[in-house]
Amino acid sequence: MAGSTIDHLISVTVFLGAILIFISLFNQTLQTAILYQRHSALATKCSDLLDNMLLNPGIPEDWGKSDVTPVGFGLQDPEFTQYRLSPFSLMRLRSSVGEPVYYPRTGLTYSNITMGLGNFLLVPYSEAINYSAVAKLLGINGTYGFQLSITPIVTVSIEEIQRKNPLILSVKVTGVNFPLANAHISYCLLTIPIGGGSGSYPFYTIDYGTNFTDAQGSVPLSFPYVKQEVSYVFIVYAYLGGLMGMGYYEHVTYIGSYIIPFIDDFAEGRMLIAHSYDVHNDTDTAEITYNATFVVLAEDFTLRSMSVENSTGKLTYGIGWPYAYVTIPKNVRSNPGILVITYRKSAQETGVVLMPWGISSLAFPVVFGGDPTGQEWVATDIRQVTVNGVAYQAKLALWSLGG
Amino acid sequence: MMRTIEVMLVIIIILGAFMIASFFAVLPSPREVSPLNLRRLALTTLQLLDSNYSLSAAAFVDEDDSSFAEVTSQLQIALSACLPPNIIYNLTVYQVLGENSSELYSYKWSISNAESLGVGSDAASLLVASSNVTFRVTPEKIGERGFGGTLYILNCSDANGWWVTGYTTHSLAQDLYNLLSPYFKTTVMVQNTTDLGKILNGTSLQGETVQNAVIINTCGEAVPIPSAYSDGNYARYCHFLGNTTRLYNWTWVSIVGYPLYYVSNINAFPNNNNTYGIYGMIQVGPAGLNAFLRGLDNQAYSYNGNSITNSLSEPVYLSSEARYYCNYYGIYPSPYQTSTRALPDSILTTYHLPESRVTYIFNKVGSWIPGAVYRHVASGDNKITGSLFALGLTRTPDIRLTVLGLLCAFKPRLYRSEYTATNATRLVVLQLGQAGGI
Repeated sequence: MAGSTIDHLISVTVFLGAILIFISLFNQTLQTAILYQRHSALATKCSDLLDNMLLNPGIPEDWGKSDVTPVGFGLQDPEFTQYRLSPFSLMRLRSSVGEPVYYPRTGLTYSNITMGLGNFLLVPYSEAINYSAVAKLLGINGTYGFQLSITPIVTVSIEEIQRKNPLILSVKVTGVNFPLANAHISYCLLTIPIGGGSGSYPFYTIDYGTNFTDAQGSVPLSFPYVKQEVSYVFIVYAYLGGLMGMGYYEHVTYIGSYIIPFIDDFAEGRMLIAHSYDVHNDTDTAEITYNATFVVLAEDFTLRSMSVENSTGKLTYGIGWPYAYVTIPKNVRSNPGILVITYRKSAQETGVVLMPWGISSLAFPVVFGGDPTGQEWVATDIRQVTVNGVAYQAKLALWSLGG
Repeated sequence: MMRTIEVMLVIIIILGAFMIASFFAVLPSPREVSPLNLRRLALTTLQLLDSNYSLSAAAFVDEDDSSFAEVTSQLQIALSACLPPNIIYNLTVYQVLGENSSELYSYKWSISNAESLGVGSDAASLLVASSNVTFRVTPEKIGERGFGGTLYILNCSDANGWWVTGYTTHSLAQDLYNLLSPYFKTTVMVQNTTDLGKILNGTSLQGETVQNAVIINTCGEAVPIPSAYSDGNYARYCHFLGNTTRLYNWTWVSIVGYPLYYVSNINAFPNNNNTYGIYGMIQVGPAGLNAFLRGLDNQAYSYNGNSITNSLSEPVYLSSEARYYCNYYGIYPSPYQTSTRALPDSILTTYHLPESRVTYIFNKVGSWIPGAVYRHVASGDNKITGSLFALGLTRTPDIRLTVLGLLCAFKPRLYRSEYTATNATRLVVLQLGQAGGI
């Protein structure tokens, strides 16, 4: 009787132990399969969502060129099909990497994409489309998080070899870790000659040219007419076999006070021109004058300058008239271009700042959305896109918020 | 002891079940779980490379061409430059063969940056056309699926034009004929005011259908007037024109300026000029358009000499619909123009031209309409009875805007030829794989 009971107890104990082990083994297999399934579904969702963003222009379709809040989200250029994105819709996305800028004179906070000193894109929060609004429009609010990165494929880096007599610049064009040999380049050099005295509006000259890169994707360019050190900006477009990219380089002789352009109104093409002291509270409060021009890329890949309304003016910090307006003419407002603003404190102290009108004009990257850091699983997908002819790569990182 | 043995047996059975289940439940490799969509990447890469037709040009270079090495080298550089470093590719070009061939495609050449594309790859293809290909487009004829289909172009040799500076009415008529006749069943050049008089009385000139026709007045602000109507009351003639437009459901087209501001007949008014030295013409003034609109709305004639147009200070812009049809029909006038004879939107209610039936060629500016096709719908009715297409732009007329406006209003379809031109189409296949990993 006792032996039978012991046999019973041992067998039940062993059986229960074995069952528990097998349950955990099966459970582990099932869990892995479920996770795989979930991750696979996330990857599919990522691909679908990326196409959804890139293959429709949104509602209304010209929301990028206006001040309206879209009721449907999409980034496609409404004038084209396929993966061609609107340079203006991208401009209205609130950057998730740049430190926001608060400008006390308007009392507004601005979304900030700054690519080095003198290259700004500052969009007021009231005009920029934020992450949560887009998540709602895409129907993924609370279920998925995402980050959309639009990065130029072609990098054009410019190095100053010699500053004067003559000015020599070296241009290097690369793709994704690969030099673009024999690429056609089209460039524009805007220089601010010395002279004119304090207070006068800065005068500038523009020269254009074309060339080809060598087997290493480089080309040196010499400008013999630049005899002495001047402020200048050098803008380059590079083109090879359907790939187009751009780059720029500035040298300024005065950086104590400078111009900071803010976007004021998309629909009107109006920019607000601010004194750097009012934004950063720097030590230099010198009065500066400015002269603005708008440069567009023509179909033959050459650059053309267009005049803008109220192109010249004077800025003082904090008092009087602390900022001014520059308006891009209506007939060229729908074209992407570069707002080039030259400024001067004195005959020798000048500078220049750039602002893209349409994100592609200065090949600015855009990072929009949440932060994927720390997420359990992030699916990514990429597409090759063009933004006003400039080659970009669109990358979407997607993660589940459902645990 | 028996129970322990039984339990052991059960454990063996469950273990067997687990092993069998594990054997069959093969989990996908990590790369398959969250894959990069290589097919989409390949397609977008092909589209990117062909964004300026560079790929199309490269695909038609053959191996025996002197530029082959340079072209393929550039293509390889572009591919390597735009694809992520871990992506390997094979790009193959095929010739699309004709219907009479036993094969659909034949291999031409390929380029690759790896010997094999690894364990998993995906591909996308793009059809590219040679720049030598001519595509045929057959337009639908207006009136083919309904009524009308007649286009009258007033090319009256016995009438002068005004605000057509730089052109003659004859050259404008010829341009209109060339641009618009493919879209109409019948196009009739009305050569003199006598013929105009005939169609105003509903008489066909060449057996065409008078009802539902389109009449383009190429004389600008002047309108030809048959001698029979030159009785001194020219605003009444304009009223008659409006009335006739309503009766025959015509679309009356004014190509520039203030519509019906003058009447012209060289024989009837040999000694009269329009106060600017153009003889054979008499000024009616704003009363002409007012009377026309009254006639169009079946209102009794009364003289009203008040001007109703406005000169807009800012440029006016093509409407989104007009811009869409610019691309559809391949007509590209300047998208912004100067309008000095914009009509007020009050005419829409005064003369029963419902806004829902208006086709805007230019965007409205406040309450002013620079250019639009107005359709008359009588009160209590739903049927269109006559239309006016008025382009209130300043001289000189761009005749393409008239063409664009009419095509926007009637929207004839374009039937494009199929994309199967023999030896003129090539298929480019881009196959992508991922290097490294599992």
